[in-house]
Order: sequence, then C-alpha cells, then structure tokens
Amino acid sequence: MKPRKAMTLAFFVVLLSIGYFSMHAAPTLSDENYSYHGDTRWQTNVTAAEETAAAEGKPIVVYFWTTWCTYCEDYNREVYADPAVQSELDDFVKVAVNLDDDGGESARMQQEYNVNYPPQHVVVTPDGEVLVRINGYAGTEDFLSYLDAAEGRYSGESA
Amino acid sequence: MNVGTILLGLAFGASLSAAGVLGRAYVADDDAYVAHVPKLTAAAAVLLVSALLHLTYQFVTTDYSNAYVWENTASYLPLLYRVTGVYAANEGSVLLWAAIVSVVTMIAGAVRGIPDRHAKLVHGLTLGLVAYFTGMLLAQNPFASIRTAFPGAPPGFVPTSGQGLNPLLVDPYMAIHPPVMFTAYALLAMPFAIGAAHFVSLFRGNGGVFPTWHGSVTRWLRLSWLFLTAAVALGGLWSYTVLGWGGIWAWDPVETAILIPWLFLTATLHAVSAYEPTGRYRVLAPAMTATVFALAVYTTSVVRSGVFRSVHSFADGGIGAAFLVLMALTAGLGVVAPVVYWLLQPDDGADDRADDRWLRRSNLIHLAVLGFGLLTFVSLWGLSFPLLRNAITGLEVSVEARYYNLWSYPLVLGLLLLLGFYMDYEAAGRRRALAGLGVFTAATLVGAFVAPTETWQLASTRADDALVYQLVGSASAASVLPPVAYAILGTVKRTGGRIRAAASRNARLKETGITLIHVGAALLVLSLPFMYVFAGQASVMATGVGDGSMDTSQQAVPGSDYSVRVLGHSRTEFPQDPAVGTYALSSEQVVRRGSSLNGSVQTVHGRVTDIREGPRATVVQLDGSSIWVGLAGNETTAPVTTGERIVARGRLMWDFVPSADAVVLARSETIGPTADPPENVVPTRVVAEGVSLAVYEGDRLRASGVAGQRRYPEQGGMQVRDVVIDRGLLADTYVIAGVSDGTASITVKQVPFVTLMRLAIVSLLLGMSLVALFDPRHGAMTDTAVRGTARDPNPEVAD
Repeated sequence: MKPRKAMTLAFFVVLLSIGYFSMHAAPTLSDENYSYHGDTRWQTNVTAAEETAAAEGKPIVVYFWTTWCTYCEDYNREVYADPAVQSELDDFVKVAVNLDDDGGESARMQQEYNVNYPPQHVVVTPDGEVLVRINGYAGTEDFLSYLDAAEGRYSGESA
Repeated sequence: MNVGTILLGLAFGASLSAAGVLGRAYVADDDAYVAHVPKLTAAAAVLLVSALLHLTYQFVTTDYSNAYVWENTASYLPLLYRVTGVYAANEGSVLLWAAIVSVVTMIAGAVRGIPDRHAKLVHGLTLGLVAYFTGMLLAQNPFASIRTAFPGAPPGFVPTSGQGLNPLLVDPYMAIHPPVMFTAYALLAMPFAIGAAHFVSLFRGNGGVFPTWHGSVTRWLRLSWLFLTAAVALGGLWSYTVLGWGGIWAWDPVETAILIPWLFLTATLHAVSAYEPTGRYRVLAPAMTATVFALAVYTTSVVRSGVFRSVHSFADGGIGAAFLVLMALTAGLGVVAPVVYWLLQPDDGADDRADDRWLRRSNLIHLAVLGFGLLTFVSLWGLSFPLLRNAITGLEVSVEARYYNLWSYPLVLGLLLLLGFYMDYEAAGRRRALAGLGVFTAATLVGAFVAPTETWQLASTRADDALVYQLVGSASAASVLPPVAYAILGTVKRTGGRIRAAASRNARLKETGITLIHVGAALLVLSLPFMYVFAGQASVMATGVGDGSMDTSQQAVPGSDYSVRVLGHSRTEFPQDPAVGTYALSSEQVVRRGSSLNGSVQTVHGRVTDIREGPRATVVQLDGSSIWVGLAGNETTAPVTTGERIVARGRLMWDFVPSADAVVLARSETIGPTADPPENVVPTRVVAEGVSLAVYEGDRLRASGVAGQRRYPEQGGMQVRDVVIDRGLLADTYVIAGVSDGTASITVKQVPFVTLMRLAIVSLLLGMSLVALFDPRHGAMTDTAVRGTARDPNPEVAD
C-alpha cells in the first residue's frame, strides 16, 4: 500500500473512532424529568415541583442556566460538588430552567422572575414569593449563606 | 416600495442576468452578450454598496419608518454604534455579506477579465451567489416598512424611539468583528467558485480549471485566512472584555462554528501548497478549496437559523431557511461533486509517481493536512452530535469544553511535533531529524507526568469518566512545552538557512512570514492551556457601598495575595438630562403627524397657554394649539401654571372632544415642568453602576478603575460587565464587580499569558501578510501577470 493511502485510511479510522467514542462518552445533561448539574439532580417540570413544594412545605430554589455559561460550569465544579451544599439543598425543592428552552414553562419562569442571563438562582416560597436572589456566581460560602438567609426568611414567614 | 428595496431589486436583476448570461455562454461555448457582463457586475456591486450606504444613512439619522432600523438602534446611541447597528441582525449582515461578495466579484472580473470558457463558469458561479444573497434580502427585506412591525398602525405612523442595539454589541471590538468576518467569508466565495467550477468542468469533460487558477486560489485563500484569523481574534478579545468571565474562549457553539472554517482553511492552505496539477492532490486540493466555503455557510446557518441556541442567537429568524437551502447547494457543489468524481475516476496510478518511501516531505505535509482535518472534525462533531443524539434518543447530552479540549489537545501536540520534525528534516537530514523527533516525543510524554502541583493537571477528572478523558485530563500542562520548543527551534533553524540562501528580497520576506506564522502558532498553543489551567480567582464582598458607609481601607481578598480598596460608588443613568425634543413631540409635530397617533401612548411638550378646570377633568392647552393635555378623574388640580414649559405622557386621543384636535390623557405622575421632568416620563436606557477601586498585589498597586455593570432596563434588563483589566507581561489582573442593593461582590482574577497570546496573534497576522504579499510564486505584489497553465514543478514541497 502506498504511504499516503495508508495514512488516509488511518485518518478515517481515527476519525470514526473519535466520533463513535465521544458520542457515547458524553454525559447526560437531561432526560425527561431531570437535569444534572455537578453531582446534583434538578427537576425540570416546574408545575410538578411547585406541587411537591406545597405538599412538603419546602421552599423552591430555581436555577436558571444555559449550556454555554462558564459560571454554570464553575457552579457544577465548585459549589454543587460540595457535600455541605448538597445537604443544604436537600431542604429545598430544586428546579432547573434552561434559559434556551423554547417551551412555555421556561419563558413563564423567566418572565415571572425577570431573569435574562445565566446563572441566576431565585429562592421562592411554594406560592412563588421571592425569598432570595443570587445573581451571577457565588462561591460555596456565599451560596450557603444565601440559602441560610432564604430558609430563615421562609420559616419567619410561615411562623 | 422604497428606495432601498428598489436598489436591491435592481441589484438582483443585474446579478441574476449576468449569472444567466455567463451560464448560457459556458454551456453553449459562445460569447453572446458576454460583453455586457462586466457592466452588469459593476452595476450589481454599486447597487448593493449603495443599498448598504442607504441603510447606514437610515441608521445614522434614526429613520424609524424602517422596521429594521427601529429594531436595532436608538437615538441615544453614539454615532459609531448607530453605524454598527446595521449588521446587528440577519438582514443587515446578509446585506453586508452580499455587498462584499459583489465587490470581490467585480474586482476579480476586472483583474482577470473573462478570457476563456472556464472564467465564464467561475464568474457565473460567484454572480449566482450574489444573486442568491440578494434574493434572500428581497424575501426578508432590511428596508421593510415599520408597518410590518406594527400591522395595525395607520399609514404614516413612525415610532418616536427605537428599540436599541443589543447591549452585548455596544463594544468597539464588536464594531469591527462582523465586517472582518464577512469579508473573510466573502473572499472564500472565489475559491469556492474555482473549486466547484473545476469539478463541473471535469464532469463535462473540459479538463478542469484548477491548474490555471492555482495562483489565484492561493491568493484568495491566504487573504481570507488573514481576515478570518483577525475575526476569530477580535471575537475572543471581545469576549474577554465584555462577557466578564476572564477568558477568550468558551466553546460556545458559535465560537466553535467560526473555528471550523478556520481550521479547515488552514488544512486547505497546506494541501494547496503541495498541489501538483497532474500528480498529488489533483482531486483533494480543489475539493478542499470548494469545501471551505460550504463549511462557512454551514456555520453561518448554525448562527442564523436558530438551530443552535447560544449567546449569539440574538439574530434568529426566517432567513434561516434560506441559509439551509444555500447550505445544501454549496455542500452539493463543494463536497458531493468532488467525492462522486473521486469515486468515478479511474485509478491510473499517476498519483505519487509510484514512490513508496514513507519519509518524504510531501507525506509529512499530508499528515499535517490530515491532522488539521481531524481537528476540524472534532469541532464539527462536537457541534453536531448532540443534535443527532437528541433526535435519535431524546436524551439531551452535554458537550462540555472538556470534549473539545481533551480531544484537540493531543492532536495539537502531534501537529507541533510534526512541524518541528518537518522543519528539522529539511535542515538537518534524516538521521538527526529522527533522533530529534524521538527525543522531543519522549520529553512530551515525560512532561505529561511532571506536575509540580495539582493545578498543572489539564482537567479535573471524575472516576466515572471515559478512559480517554481520564488519560488526557490527568496529563500535566508541562507536556505542551517540548512540542512548542521543538516547533519553534525547527522553524527558526530551517527558515534561518532558507532566508540566507534566498535569492531575492521577496523570497526572504516570504520565508520570514512563514517563520512568523509557525512560531506564532506555537506560541498561541503555549499560551492557551496555561491561560486556563493557571487562571486563579478570589472574591470579596464590600457592603454599605450605596450609602457611602463602606469600608475604604485596604481589605485582603481571602485565598489570594490581592487586597482591594473600595474608593467610591457611582451610578449613572443614560441618557443624562436629555433634551426634551429627543423623547417628546412638540405640539407642532403632533399636529403634523395627525390622526396616525390616535390611540398610541405619546410624550408631548410645550408651553401652557390655557388651563380649564372642569368638574370631572382638567385640560391644559399647549402653545395655543389644538393639542391639549387632559387630567381626568379626581386629579382635578393641575400641577402646572400658565406660561410654564411642561412635558406630559399618556394615551393620545385624536378628535376625542369637539373643541380640540388631540388630547393626551396624562396622570399627575406623568406631567411636570420640562426643567424637572417626572421620572417616569424621561426614558432611561442604561443604568451604569459600579465601584471605583484599587487592587493591590502585596503592596504594589496592580489595577485601578471602575468595575461594575451596565443594565439596559428597556431591553429586558439585560446586563453587561464593566471590567478593570491591568495588562501585565506575564499575567493580566482582571477585576469584576457586581453591584446591587448597596453590596459589591468583587472578584479578582489572574489570567496568565494573555500578552503572549496577543503577541502570537500579531505574529500570525503579520506573517500571513508577508506571505500573501511577497511570495515569489503567488504573492499579490509579485505575481501581476496572469500565468499560463502552471505546469511548473512545485519547489515548496519538492522531494
């Protein structure tokens, strides 16, 4: 076989294997009901989450994100990977809204909470009243103190 | 029908008829009407440029009778951003593209003329492109009347203020990035036409056009590489200063989309430089030449059709479908035709002169072409497979930056080692070059394991990661050093010898250019991993900023060597105290616009000439005219006095009462003196809030300035960052502040090697300029005569 032909064949073998391999190695970002951020799992169905929150008496933390937002990756890597954050988040019903979704629910949430850039967190009561807003990126400690503040306000309100 | 549409219609007619004449002349092989083509081409170019200028004029004068102008600008914007609003969305961008393609076509036709049958085909194709773009513009017209945006509005209705320019585009980098990019894309149209014409001609048994046009193709490709590189660089620097996250590249779909044609163009330049009319690459080089444009169209479809949503999707709309059709056409001519030809052609064994040696310079070039091909594929696949997968399984998978970084990284290192070897092989001979390659490859592998601290690791790996990601991700950034050193040493050594041996000044300049390009590329590769791996950041909060009770002493930023002093707080609204005429209509203007204003909310101003208080309402006359301001309900005491200049906002009712032409129904909060207008009458477009601060590293002042954000209340409250950047030789200090509710959250980042990256880009651009201008074979300055059939042996990669 001539060298150049051999190289070209090898090229196609490498190309196809990269293609096949990378497609299967890609992490799942969301399936029907959940999306995954860092090591945390967030509901995507807002109505269902509101019902859960009302039933369990928990506040809702709404996370507005996109695939291309670099601070969202920081959240995944630094904040959501932290066990303290994960256990704190268990006291909330977690809902993730992809700002790029074309669905009506995403648009409704964006409009309702006046959110137009990622990342933002809005912590709300089951009735939709805003407790705390976290605009942009907050480090683990700040994030935790925001969540604490939200819980404080929520229990103050419901008491 | 308006002036702009007429210009577009005429341009469409001119370009379509010229393309038709040339197509017919090519098929029939005669010269009927061909003499008219230069005039028609020039007419199309002049008409399209006039249309562009006309649109620009409408933007500068904020002529809101044009819907596109109304959507993309506002009167408060400075002149520069009123001009750049022209290409803020699809219609204007396509007009810009069409105008540049038409000018390129005109120049190409004027320089070379239409000497033979093949030239007819090539120019016919480019004119066809111009016609297609112009047709797209007629379908989605940048000159559409404002009534398309307000279908219910009466004739003559013109809004008083525009929607405004997308805040992300209010930036000097973004003012020049789009024209530079569209120039690059437009320049690719010529190589596309030549490549496509080559295969059309081969299928028709006319022998192909590529050998004759080889020099021309090389020049167009180099020129567009120059512009495309500049466009990518400008886009990266824009992202660095505007998006406020302290990096130049995030693998946003649209960034990836411009990288794809860039990588493939680079591969094509290598293939075209090794092209021999009867030998190697006689199919591949023309095929790649045609494919670059097809890829550029594909990426533009990605941006404009709304298939992929991203930070760039500010410009989605119906023009997407037209782009998809264009994508099919260009892919058919640029990709499918060559592949079919390649499959059909008899393998006559002319390829390669039956030489079976592996180690030949042409084979090394081939490896480079394949390497760039693989890099292109990685980006192309990353952009495309989530869609495929989603369509097939319904699962949404993420393509993280890791995918692109970790697959591309080993390929890039391989290319650098190859570059070093190629250069060394020529300068030092076979044995020494092979030894050098062995040493540097071993050093690269060792480097991958040398990580003084954990930060050197390329990516954080997770236990459940695929093997490749774990392997490459856990490699140390030190592995980039040996390949970079090898590439630079080899390049400098070889070209040093070549420059000394060069016979002419032009040849020396060309070799200098080649050196600058390859050294620049190596330095760019050096800067990128370090920029990301070693970027450090730390944050601190400052409270009491709004009321001046903040701590103005030096505060340490936890987790870093930095400390910050907050010196003050500023909050500015734009436009500041605007002249009343810029946001309100005078009574005279209202009379002139007449009943077209009926029912709309308007702001009016004028001098109070009469006040009549009735039992249920008070009315105030303006300037003794038939225009009155009414205050209804219990707000019967007018807060104004006769003789005063006032401004008022409310719904304007035409012929509402018998004694007046128009009544503006205001409320007490929306009426007041012009000198001190009520807050909700004066429009606020931008609220810039920030803190002035000084950042110290140890005891040394590193950076100072105002960091904060600009909010655009009338554009959905969108925000852009004002950052403070201190450009250092080794590292930039990058300061971001988010200011709200009296609290400033300040983040200080240290971004290494940005200056090195800037230098590398300058080196790339300068190098390519030298090559494009002074190459003795195909330079723009040196090759003035049109060559005959270039059957000369190829000295560049002769073995």
